[in-house]
Amino acid sequence: MSDLEDDTTIFSTLKSFKSLMSLPDRSLQEAEPAYGRSDLQKLYTQRVEMEEAAERIRSHTSLLQLTREKQQMELSHKRARIELEKEANTSSRDLQRQVDQNQDLLTKIRRLEEKEEKANQALSEQVEKNKALKRSLEELHAQLSDKDNKLSEANQTISELKDEVRTLNQKLQIQESKFSTQNLENQALQEQLEMQRKKYQEAIQKHQSLQSTLLSNTESELKIKELKRRLALQEQDSIIVKNMKTEVAKLPELERDIKRLQDENLYLRENKENCSLLKEETEGLRKKLERMEKVVEEKLKLELEKEKVSQELQAWENIGQTTGLNIRKPEDLSREIIQIQQRELNLKQQNYTVTSNMRSVEKIRTQLQSEATELRSKALEEQKKRENQDTLVRRLQKRVLLLTKERDGMRAILESYDSELAATEYSPQLTRRVKEAEEMLQKVQAHNTEMEAQLFKAQEEAGTFKLQAQAVALELEALKEKLSSVSDSNPAAAEEELNSLRQKIEELESDRQRLEEQNNILEMRLERHNLQGDYDPVKTKVVHFRLNPTCVAKQQRSEEFEQLKTECERLRDRLRKMEAGGAVTTDDTTLIIPPSQEILDLRKQMESAELKNQRLKEVFQKKIQEFRTVCYVLTGYQIDITVENQYRLTSVYAEHMEDCLLFKASGTVGTGSMQLLETDFSRTLTELVDLHLFHQKSIPVFLSAVTLDLFSRQTVV
Amino acid sequence: MAKTLHGITLKGSAELVAEFFSFGINSILYQRGIYPAETFTRVTQYDMSLQLTTDPKLKNYLTNVVTQLKEWLFNCTVQKLVVVITCLETNEVLERWQFDIECDKTAKESSAPREKSMKAIQEEIRSVIRQITATVTFLPLLETACAFDLLIYTDKDLEIPAQWEESGPQLIDQSEEVRLRSFTTSIHKVNSMVAYKRTNAV
Repeated sequence: MSDLEDDTTIFSTLKSFKSLMSLPDRSLQEAEPAYGRSDLQKLYTQRVEMEEAAERIRSHTSLLQLTREKQQMELSHKRARIELEKEANTSSRDLQRQVDQNQDLLTKIRRLEEKEEKANQALSEQVEKNKALKRSLEELHAQLSDKDNKLSEANQTISELKDEVRTLNQKLQIQESKFSTQNLENQALQEQLEMQRKKYQEAIQKHQSLQSTLLSNTESELKIKELKRRLALQEQDSIIVKNMKTEVAKLPELERDIKRLQDENLYLRENKENCSLLKEETEGLRKKLERMEKVVEEKLKLELEKEKVSQELQAWENIGQTTGLNIRKPEDLSREIIQIQQRELNLKQQNYTVTSNMRSVEKIRTQLQSEATELRSKALEEQKKRENQDTLVRRLQKRVLLLTKERDGMRAILESYDSELAATEYSPQLTRRVKEAEEMLQKVQAHNTEMEAQLFKAQEEAGTFKLQAQAVALELEALKEKLSSVSDSNPAAAEEELNSLRQKIEELESDRQRLEEQNNILEMRLERHNLQGDYDPVKTKVVHFRLNPTCVAKQQRSEEFEQLKTECERLRDRLRKMEAGGAVTTDDTTLIIPPSQEILDLRKQMESAELKNQRLKEVFQKKIQEFRTVCYVLTGYQIDITVENQYRLTSVYAEHMEDCLLFKASGTVGTGSMQLLETDFSRTLTELVDLHLFHQKSIPVFLSAVTLDLFSRQTVV
Repeated sequence: MAKTLHGITLKGSAELVAEFFSFGINSILYQRGIYPAETFTRVTQYDMSLQLTTDPKLKNYLTNVVTQLKEWLFNCTVQKLVVVITCLETNEVLERWQFDIECDKTAKESSAPREKSMKAIQEEIRSVIRQITATVTFLPLLETACAFDLLIYTDKDLEIPAQWEESGPQLIDQSEEVRLRSFTTSIHKVNSMVAYKRTNAV
């Protein structure tokens, strides 16, 4: 507040000063126009102004000071405020702490009060428990008293029981005495029993002996039976022996009979042989008889033949007489025959020569005739040609004459017309007449040529007919000559021809029969073929309906076949796709069977399993890689499995890339026993190998020693 | 029917023979089992019960063939009708039922009807169809699926209609033939026979 008052005083002073200052300004301003003032005034004024300026400056400075003081005051005010605020804060905090403490204390009080209450409650409960206990105690006392009563009662009963026990003991003693007597009796009985047993054993022995005797009895009875049987047999044998004796007695007689029979046998056998011989002889004789009979027959036949032959001979001899030839013997006949034959041969030869000559002559004649006819025909042709030429010539001459006549006529007409033309004009009529005349001429000429052509044709035909007639006449003459020549030939030739003709006829008849048989066979075959359905393609043809059931059925079959083939191929493709890939592609628009739910589920399972597999593989790969790097980093060796059961270790501090140690697992893989194999690098480490592997037999120590060695080589400590 | 009560004309004879073929072919198809038995229905004809097919395609085919055959019978240009039974798997001909037709061409010129009673003709046809049914007993079994075809042997110069074409005679190799009965209407004479492939059974 004092500051504020200060401030107001400062401001009020400032205001008064300003007002003061402004007054003199006005006064100054009013004074300026008065130029009539002197320099002193000017100096005064200047001084006043300077004093005013000084006052101003002083006021300014005082202002400044005041302001500074104000600021300081403010600062101190602020500081005081801050301090006050701090104090306030601290006091408030203290307050709050106090409050909190208060509250805590209050809460503690509450808790304590609660505890008090609980303790009171517990107390009360305890009191109640006490009471209960006391009651129970009283009850127990009561029970105790009851038990005491019971005890006393029990004691009474005990005493009674003891009395009973005493009585029982007495009884027991009596019983014991009885028991001892019983024992004595028992012993006596046992002795008897033993005696009885002995007797029993004796009896058994006797029984056994009896049984043995019985057995022996039975055996002896059996023996007796056997002996009786033998006896019987022997009696039988004796009987037999007796019979045998009787029979033996008969023996010599039998022997005699045997001898006799043997002799008879021999005799009969001889007889049999004789019989057989005789039979053979009879058979031979029969055969001879048959042969003889045949011979007789043949003889008869031969006699007949002989008679025939003799007759023939006589006839032959007669022939000789009848023919008048000098024939007595067959030699003469043969000679005659030979002669006749020779003559025949000669005649035949002559005949052949004659006929050949005749044939050649005939050939020549025919040739000459044909040449003659040809020449004649040629001559005729030439004649005809000549005639034709003559006719042509005549025609031409006629034409020439006609033409000349026409020409003359035309000339005459023309001249007449020329002569007439000068007088009158008949030209159109004349031209028409000329045309008509020309037309008439042409027609006439055409008619003429036609007639000439017809004439020519007729003449040609006549000529050809003449030629044909001549040729036919020639042929006729030739045939006539042939016939005459044929009829003029020898009668022998005619007979020969007749014979030949007869032979031909016979041959033809046999051919005919053969052909008839063939014909029958062929007809049968034809019939058979007809039955089978054959036909003559020349006369018949086979037709059928186009859309016949066989054709339709075949088409259906082929279509079915095609369908089945395409379906089969489709199914095969589908199978291949299913075997190759897992899921069904959407390209299968030709699918007929929709995939069932099971298959879809299985496919999903398969896909999920495959995904799992892949993930597992990736995870394993990562883990393996991690583990290997960790191993390398921590142990300092990179372990690779190059070959099955062989492990290659490469050190971190290896000097060359190829430096490696090879270990081989000996024994089963699980046991972990390893052996070091020779490498170039291991040869440099022989000392370490000897020390750690051979003596100490520890591979980890060896490996660490190697790393230490390599490390020491690499780094310079 | 253009056959008078007391006689047979050429047209009537052609109709009789065509009718016989229609029923005969149906009987053969039924007896040999070319078509299943349930596709046939029983009808009465020639005083006996016969089987007739109800399959519409087959019926259509048969009516086409029979009407054409009637026309050819009327013109006396047909010589044989053959029912060929082929095995579908091996394309071999297994049976051939051949009916030879002999036509009396003089009936074409004279239009006077011939004297033959309908009863006698029917009796003859009946015996032929009975014999066809009886032959099934000794014919070998048709075990595989078969189809049939009708071939007609005509004169060489006959004009073939559009729906028909020429074919081979479809003979059986190694066949046994059996001649059956024949019947005649006094204008047409029909001889029947059956040829079947010899089976290799001893």
